[in-house]
Amino acid sequence: MLAGDVRFLIFTAIGLAAFPLALHAVGGYGGLATQICILSVAAIGFNVLLGYAGMLSYGHAMFYGGGGYLAAILLMRAMPAHPNLWLAVLGATIATAALALAIGSVTVRLYGIYFALLTLAFAQMVFFIVEQGGEITGGDDGLQSFPNALLPIGPWSIDLTAPVPPIDMGPLGTVSDLKLWYVFAAIVLLLVLWFTRALTRSQFGEVLGAIRENEERSLFVGFNAATYRLAAFAISGALTGFAGAMRALYDGTVAVDSLGIDRSGSFVIYTIVGGVQTVFGPVVGTAIIVYLENVLSGVTPLWRLIEGLIFIAAIVFLPSGIVGTLGGRGKRGRRALFGALRARPATGVAPPAGPAPAAVDVPRETNA
Amino acid sequence: MESLIEALLNGLVLGLIYVAIAVGLTIVFGTLRLVNFAHGAFYAVGAYVGLVLAGRYGLLAAFVAAPIAVAAFAVLLDRLVLRFFYGKDATSQLLLTFGIALVVEEALRLIFGGTTQRYPVPDALAGSFALGPIQYPAYRLAFALGIIAMLLVVWLIIERTNYGLIVRAGIRDRIMVQLLGGNIRRASTIVFAIGAAIAGLVGAAASPIYSVNPTVGFSFLVPSFVVVVVGGLGSFWGAVLGGLLIGELQSVTTIVFPPASNVVIYLCMALVLLLRPQGLLGESEVIRQS
Repeated sequence: MLAGDVRFLIFTAIGLAAFPLALHAVGGYGGLATQICILSVAAIGFNVLLGYAGMLSYGHAMFYGGGGYLAAILLMRAMPAHPNLWLAVLGATIATAALALAIGSVTVRLYGIYFALLTLAFAQMVFFIVEQGGEITGGDDGLQSFPNALLPIGPWSIDLTAPVPPIDMGPLGTVSDLKLWYVFAAIVLLLVLWFTRALTRSQFGEVLGAIRENEERSLFVGFNAATYRLAAFAISGALTGFAGAMRALYDGTVAVDSLGIDRSGSFVIYTIVGGVQTVFGPVVGTAIIVYLENVLSGVTPLWRLIEGLIFIAAIVFLPSGIVGTLGGRGKRGRRALFGALRARPATGVAPPAGPAPAAVDVPRETNA
Repeated sequence: MESLIEALLNGLVLGLIYVAIAVGLTIVFGTLRLVNFAHGAFYAVGAYVGLVLAGRYGLLAAFVAAPIAVAAFAVLLDRLVLRFFYGKDATSQLLLTFGIALVVEEALRLIFGGTTQRYPVPDALAGSFALGPIQYPAYRLAFALGIIAMLLVVWLIIERTNYGLIVRAGIRDRIMVQLLGGNIRRASTIVFAIGAAIAGLVGAAASPIYSVNPTVGFSFLVPSFVVVVVGGLGSFWGAVLGGLLIGELQSVTTIVFPPASNVVIYLCMALVLLLRPQGLLGESEVIRQS
């Protein structure tokens, strides 16, 4: 393992250990820290697609909710006698990866608005199929009361709902409402962050970036863009499905709104506010928005309006998000969000064979 | 048989709403190259303007004021925010207009509350009309005829006026229009206002049939996007064909196989995107320039 990796893991672990304490100091509760960790994993999955492959999906709730439902169904139907959370999460992740491969093999052929709408269409299909799913999915009621507390590790069974010993922070109060769930979720988030960091620095990540910036050129160099885009879609879906499975286990229930259009939109908001193309952006965005949602929604009915305005402000003024701007990558992020996709020969369909009109089109568009 | 005829008529009414919203989406895309996720918000704003005015000044006042108010709102939105995003990539436009749609929806929820509301059909159109073997609500028939008339007017503006000429030429090649001295910016703003006004008027007119709540914008926008994609982005007649097709498909499936009624339109869109990405009547030329 490289020294950089070790440093990354240590500093991130310290940050994640301090996070619930900081959250407590500003009025958040223990469960919120766990929820933020899990939703962050989903947003990271979304960012793999938007940030690194440049594909905007409006249907990621199908993987998030899908992972949740699959984990619940596995626990309730496949292993009611010997529930195993590892197997449920693993099974759900593999199944959402397969779902993402199947849907991706269709959707990655399209770009821009067409890609966004097609993912939205598939998510709506999944939503209505699950809603009509009768006994298997519980219809409108969703699924609940599946075993979700005991995590087997070796010969032991860890009760995730057991409390973490209270932590005294002096004048800032005492954190006493943390459960072992947080430790589990934080370790998972740490590993996912490490994985995405490695992914973006790998050759795969580099090629993906090249395809995002200029698909035609990367085709000429000899990379099979469609395969890379499909792989990104599958990884993204699997990560988001994994997070959905975790969330279902944490809540002990899954409902049909986890597949809804609002959920898909929330990943867009988290990622844009935090910063596309950054490793920590989705985490920061999720933490800020979910925290504000919990604090403000009790105080003012204006909350959702404020959320929308924050989102618009981020797009207009901070296109590289909070992390991207603070990290001094403002210019790069701006170019990525606004410039790169413009250079693509066709927003609508795959580049046609023969001479592409891309070069002539660029100045036309800026004149609009 | 009766229920099938009724489903077909309901499909026509629903389809015409989709057509009207989709026509706005499609002409705005054609001229401004703007993919507008906030277009459903125009429908919602029109519906609420109608709700307020219809109760006090009658339905006619609502039908006159709603499109004007919504057009003014659209021009304001255009000048304040949207114009900075013309010519940007589709992803940025989708994100921005999605944010605007969220804000409008929440603003409506704050002002009017989250409950579902409805305003009554005027007395003159409250009855039903004998149409072959079935009785059909008179208001719905009047609504359908009104929408068709409005679409004809819009089509005439696009086909027969000088503005329409600039608009159509702009869809083909906006640089050339500018070189020839056509004021495409002004034409574009007018197109944007017209698209919004159509959505606002339909919102006001459809509210006695379909009830109003703050999420109504999104719930009509998503199928309308399906319509635009099925018909062909940028094509007027594509929007008409797609809207009627999707409306009928949805309505008839409700009778024939209810569980699939929500899924079938997305299935239809996925098939069209895969087999004919430019849409039924879309020109691949337009897509390549997008």
